[in-house]
Formats: sequence, C-alpha cells, structure tokens
Amino acid sequence: MTDTLLVDEDGRFAVGKASTTPQNESVGFLESAEDAAGYWDLTSQEAFEQLSVVLYSGTGMLNTLLSRTGRRVGLIVTRGMEDAILMGRGLQAWTDYSYPDRLHAVTHQAPEPLVPRHRIYGVTERIDQFGNVVAPVYEHEAEKAAEELVAQGVEAICVCCMFSYVDDTHERQITEIVQNVLNKRDVEVPIYRSSSVRPVIREQSRLNSVVIEAYAADVSREQLVGVEEATQSQGFRYGVQTVLSYGGLAGIRYPRLHETMISGPVGGILGAKYVGDIIGSDSVIVSDMGGTSFDISAITRGNIPIENEPTLARFKLNLPTISMESIGAGAGTIIKVDPLTKKVSLGPESAGSTPGPVAFDMGGTEPTVCDCDVIMGRLNPDYFLGGKVKLNVEAAKSVFKEKVADPLGVDVYEAAEGMANMLEMDAKESMRQMISARAVDPADYALMAYGGSGPLHMAEYSRGMGFKNILTFPFAAAFSAFGCTTADYLRRYSRSVQLTLPPNADAEHRNSVAEEINRIWEGLQEAATSEMGDEGHAPADVQLEMFAQMRYTGQLEDVEVPLAMQRITADSDLDLVIKEFDELYAAINGAVAQYREAGHSITELGIVAKVEKIKPKLVRETLQGETPLAEAFKGTRSMYYNREWHEAQLWEMDYLKPGNVVAGPAVVEHPATTLVIPAGDRVWVDEWTIVHYEHAEDSSESE
Amino acid sequence: MASYDKTEIADLIDGSMPWPSTRAIMSAHKDDDRFDKYLSILQERVPWHHPILLPIGEHLYIVQSGENRIVKCDCGHEFGSYQDNWKNQALIRVRGDRESIAEIYPGRYTCDPEWMELREFICPGCVTLLEVEAAPPGFPIVFDFLPDLEGFYEDWLGKSLPQEA
Ligand SMILES: [Zn+2]
Repeated sequence: MTDTLLVDEDGRFAVGKASTTPQNESVGFLESAEDAAGYWDLTSQEAFEQLSVVLYSGTGMLNTLLSRTGRRVGLIVTRGMEDAILMGRGLQAWTDYSYPDRLHAVTHQAPEPLVPRHRIYGVTERIDQFGNVVAPVYEHEAEKAAEELVAQGVEAICVCCMFSYVDDTHERQITEIVQNVLNKRDVEVPIYRSSSVRPVIREQSRLNSVVIEAYAADVSREQLVGVEEATQSQGFRYGVQTVLSYGGLAGIRYPRLHETMISGPVGGILGAKYVGDIIGSDSVIVSDMGGTSFDISAITRGNIPIENEPTLARFKLNLPTISMESIGAGAGTIIKVDPLTKKVSLGPESAGSTPGPVAFDMGGTEPTVCDCDVIMGRLNPDYFLGGKVKLNVEAAKSVFKEKVADPLGVDVYEAAEGMANMLEMDAKESMRQMISARAVDPADYALMAYGGSGPLHMAEYSRGMGFKNILTFPFAAAFSAFGCTTADYLRRYSRSVQLTLPPNADAEHRNSVAEEINRIWEGLQEAATSEMGDEGHAPADVQLEMFAQMRYTGQLEDVEVPLAMQRITADSDLDLVIKEFDELYAAINGAVAQYREAGHSITELGIVAKVEKIKPKLVRETLQGETPLAEAFKGTRSMYYNREWHEAQLWEMDYLKPGNVVAGPAVVEHPATTLVIPAGDRVWVDEWTIVHYEHAEDSSESE
Repeated sequence: MASYDKTEIADLIDGSMPWPSTRAIMSAHKDDDRFDKYLSILQERVPWHHPILLPIGEHLYIVQSGENRIVKCDCGHEFGSYQDNWKNQALIRVRGDRESIAEIYPGRYTCDPEWMELREFICPGCVTLLEVEAAPPGFPIVFDFLPDLEGFYEDWLGKSLPQEA
C-alpha cells in the first residue's frame, strides 16, 4: 500500500491509502494523496496548491536491492582487494536471524554479491593510513580494467581504494583514467568514488555503500523525479523531499540517495524529540510496536543516538543512521509450539499484512499475537481499520486452539493471554537491556508508546519499569509519519582522522591538532554550503554544528560529541572539546568509567548543516472536565484480562478531550489503533491531547 | 504442525529449492511426515519394487527383499545383507600414489601417500561412484553405518518395519 499523511499547520492529519504502483510509483502516490485530501473535502489539486512541503519515501530502491534487479556494476579496487566483496563481513551471513538460527551455522548464508567476480578488477596502488604514497597508481592497469568493463557492457563503475578516506588522490586519478576510456569509446557510464560516499575508515562498509548507491539507489531516482513531476502537475510549487537515515530531509537530486534507504524508524524518534521539546521532556525512550517488530531507542538530554555502521538488507553500510534496536515482536508475530518439547516461541517470523493474522481471513494459517488480542476481546472485530477489515473471531479461535492451546493443554483464553504476555515480556526485556546497557535511570525518562500495536500492549510492557511518565497519542499509528514532517533540511558530513591529545601534550602538538581540526572542518563546511546551495538554500539560513567522534585513547568505541564552536580559535578550545567529551561520556557510561589518564583520541570530525523547515504545531487546548463527552462512549464489551472476563467500557479516541480521564477496564478505539486499559489503571488526556498512561498504585512487576 | 508438499520435499532432495524456502524449512520445527514423504519419493524414482526401509547414501538403500534386508543401488545391483559392509562387494579403486592422488588434489593439495590413501567404491552394476573414503594405508575398510532399523521404526516412527509386498 501507499500511504499518504496530510498534515496541516496545527498538526491535524488525514491518512489516505491506495495500492502501490511499482512500475510508476507516482500513480499510486497521487491516488492515495487524493484519498487523504478527500477527508478534508479538498481535491488533490487544491491540496497540492496549498502545500509547503512534500516528503516522499518509496521502497523502490530497497526492492531493487532485495530482488537483485539493479544495474550491471563494474568495480575497480586496490589490487589484492578484489575478493573483498565476495568475502563480505561474517555477520552478514546471519545478521537478521533469530537466536537459534544464529547458533546453527548450517542456516548461515552470505548475501548474494551485487557485483560478480568477473566484473571486479584490481589496480596496483597504495596510499597508507597516514596518507603516504607507498605505490603509485599503475595507470595501464586502470586503463585495461576500464576497457574490459566497457567490453562487458557495464552500466555503472565504482572505484574503491583502500585508504581513500585519508587521501582520495588515487581514487580520483583512477576515475579520470576510466573517464578517458569511456570518452574514447564514446560510452556514457556513471562513475562512483567510495571517498565521495563518506570518507571514513572501514573499507567493507564503504565498499558496500558505494556499490549500493550505483546498483540500486541512483537508478531509482527516476521514480522520485516522476513523483515530483506528478505533484507539480497538481500545482505543488516546490521540490519533493526524501528522508535521510539520520533524520534530515534532502531534495530528490541529492547525490547520495542510498542515504534514504533506511528511513523506517527515523520518523518516530524525530517525532518523539519534537513532542519531548514541547512538553519539556528532553530524555525519552521511544517504543514502536507495529505488525512485525518492536523498535526502541533513547533520546538522552536531547541527543538522538546515531549508529555509524548499520545493516541494510544484510550489508554493512558506512551510513550514519538514527540508532534503533529492533526485535521481531509485533502484532503479526507468529506463535509456534515445538511439537516435541512444547516450547513456545514467538517469531521472528511475521504474518505481515499479507496473508496477515488468521482473523484477517486473507489466507493466514498461522496463529499470531493479533489473533490472541481478537480472541480476548481486546480488538473490536467490527472496527479494525475503522471497519475496513472484519475480524473473524471464530477462525482465530479455532486455529489458535488447534495449534497452540491444545498442544499445550491449556484453556484457549489463558493461552491467548499467555502469548500476549510473552510478547510484552520480550518487549520489556529489550527495553530493560537497553536501559541497563546505557546505565540510565528510567525515572529520568518519559516513555512514548506508538505504532499501530503500541497502545494495545503498552499497559504490560511498561508496567513496573519506573518511567517518569508514559505517553501515547491519538494518532499513535501515524506517529512515525508525523515525525517525518517535523524533520529539518539536514546534512551530515564527516571524515576519519587520527588525532590524539595525550594529557601531557606540548604546545606544538596541540597546535598541530587544532590546525588539522580546522582544516577538516573547513573542507566539510565548503561541501555543506555548496550542496545546500545546490538545493536552493541561502547560505545565511544554513546553521552549522560541529561534532567529533572521540574516545579515551586505546578504547574501541567512539562517542559522538556535539560542539558549539565553529573552529578552534585558541588552545583553550581544545580543553573545551575534551570537557564536552568527558561530560557526555560520564552521562552515558557513568563518571566512574572515565579514564582521562589515557588521553583522548579523535577518530572522526564532522559537521551537521541544517536549514529549518516549517513544521506542524501541536495545539494547546484548555483542560475540560474529567468526564468525556457522551458521544465518546461506545458501550461495553467483554474483555479477558488477568485470567478473568471484565466488562470493558469502550471509548472513541477522537472524541476524548483534554482533561478527560478514562479508568480501566476500558478500551479506547481509533480506526488505526486500540488502547487497552486493564482494571485499576487509567489514562488522562493533557492539554496537548497527549494521552498519559497511569498504572494502578500498587502496580508491581507481574513476573 | 509443519507439513510440506511432496514437490517441496522432492526439491529438497534434488537441491533445487530456492534458498529462502530451504532456510524457512530448516528454521521451522521438523515436519512429522517428512520421512514418509521422502521415502515415497525415492521409491517412485527407482525402477524396482522392493520397499525402501532407509536411504544410506546418494544411490544406496536398505530394502526389504523377501525375508532379507539388503543394500541395493538405484540401478538394481544388490550388495547383500545390510549388516555386512556393502563396500566389500563393490569395485574398489585405490589412489595410493602421488600421481593418482594429484588427479583429484593437484599441487600442494596432494596428501602424502605414505600417510593417506583414497579409496573409491564403485557400483559393479552401473559404475557409479558410490562413496570415497580416506584412510591410512593398511587400515581396514571403514563400515560407515550399521543402523538399528527396528529401534528407529518402532521407537521413533512408532510403527513396525514394512514387509515384502
Ligand atoms: Zn548401481
């Protein structure tokens, strides 16, 4: 499906849906946009004429990559490294597997390489890690490689030299030779240099990134251009934007489109940061439970965590990405009972949206957690997706009984609740691990629960965790999409360095470090201003924030330190950099973990360039009485909870007003999500129409 | 409980199933009718009618032949009782010198024939290479596999051994 989320300046939104049209994505997009506009009695033309920003993210690139239908790429690497792409990284053979499959090596399988060995050529050259030329480029080898790649009819050529992140001279030299051959043979083939993807250490990830850009990303640009043309034909006045994996927006002509390929979880965390800033909560744990996974992350003191080497379709990339931890635990997670041991396992397989859970009646044959929710009366069989999908309670019950309850010898309802609890425990355990790994105090954090199934299971997965407060949203199902609309135009630029600041460094050494930092930052700043300029942003609007990846010398992991300075103007600025690192390190790992005696290392320098974008506002309303409006009440339904049947009150989410309180047992329904409140717990709606969940006073761990 | 089509099991046997489906089967709980389907596919593929009790190699089966349980090749050649080592009835080619070993393992891969020889066991009926073993010269022929047929059928499959039809 193609979803369109239409947001107005007050944060109100409408969701439109249409079938995806893979041949020409713009067709499905326009249809779903028209559907969304219809909710506000607008034609699609009227909607597009008024819009300030259009964000689009499609799955075309990812599908190209997964189905291996990308370009015929040729690759030129440092001689001796020709097999790197075939060897890959060991973890690529199992990275998205379940724990049992990780243990059983027989299931491990390296992803099929994107470039076959016969289109990979080595060229003798070497620049070492300090930037010294150890061997010059053997030009005749580069020329021969180019000739043979042309003869093989390649559609793109990638060049990746080992230490090009230190000095890209050889990559440029090879590129020039290849270009000359192309000109001579009169063929037009784009060339991609690994150093222009992101000049940082670790060649496997850099290699994967540049190859994926050539293989799947750049080739999908046409679809984006098609979408832009379609919006403009409807009266939209600006360029279409896409979402980068680290949470910025970029125009569709952005040169490194593969950076838009991991944008799934980005929206939620941006939304959480945005809402957190409004309500004065700068530390937030976000939890997104959808159909297939449970994703969590933590914003600490306003800092969004960045992962520098994420995995995409089982390839490691050198692409800064908003870091989210994910477990295969969602409403569509399939429940299995081992016939021999009776051990129950959840997922990571999921029924997805097709065939979906058994209750969808669309061909699903395996019981899922969603089926349990249906069996227990927690989901309204006549109001799923606003009634668009009728849930078949009897089918869910009979399949669940046959495949789960009977083999376990347990009552159907008890078994169903047990499965839901297992999912909630898995979710809780993943949060607990994240919290303990980062040594954070949950009492400093707000928990935000969203995603279509977040509110359905949040009562239990947040119970007894000790968060400062627990929040969800009437638009929980669309929260990620909402979050994307709060993004700014933003780029990250960075470069690997090897700088050390020992505690006893002399003035000369410190001065050389300062000079090197300024030299790198200036270079990045130039690139930033020029690329932002290409997208039509005035230099005066571009805000720059510097950062450094730092560690105590000898450590293996970096901490990304945001810095307020724009350059090092005095020796004391270096002390300031160190102080910022020490404080951040202590906040993350605890003060006792500091090790200043070892001195400090800087491994990467970067800048974030930002231009602010118009954002939807959350509307603040005056609080009304605790009792919801009469029309919000929808009657009652039997709901199974804590091994008992309760008569739960049903409420319509969109009719709840600021100030209203709903006490359990209750279910608050919305076309796209369902909030379950067991007896003893309650929710109240604040002035921003954010729903606050409160557990019963004596609420203790149910384990 | 997992169960697969006969065509899927046939693809598994032939190694022609796409990897994602193969892995899905590997990761799932074992389908409890796998052995029966597997056997029936093998039975359909051989030109003879002795019931297969257990496959013991790519071309070899333990079958019920009248009162006897014998080892039999696809081609129909019979190797005698399964309790005796079928290899003793096979044609044997020993690669015991550098030159013949190097035909298989050339250059630096060649083993020292003083320490190891390769023995190839070939069917007298169809000249198919049935098995290869590596052993020190003078080491007795290895008896790979003497299954406990009764135990397997009765305790694991929960049924008695099939008899000659
Ligand atoms: Zn034979």
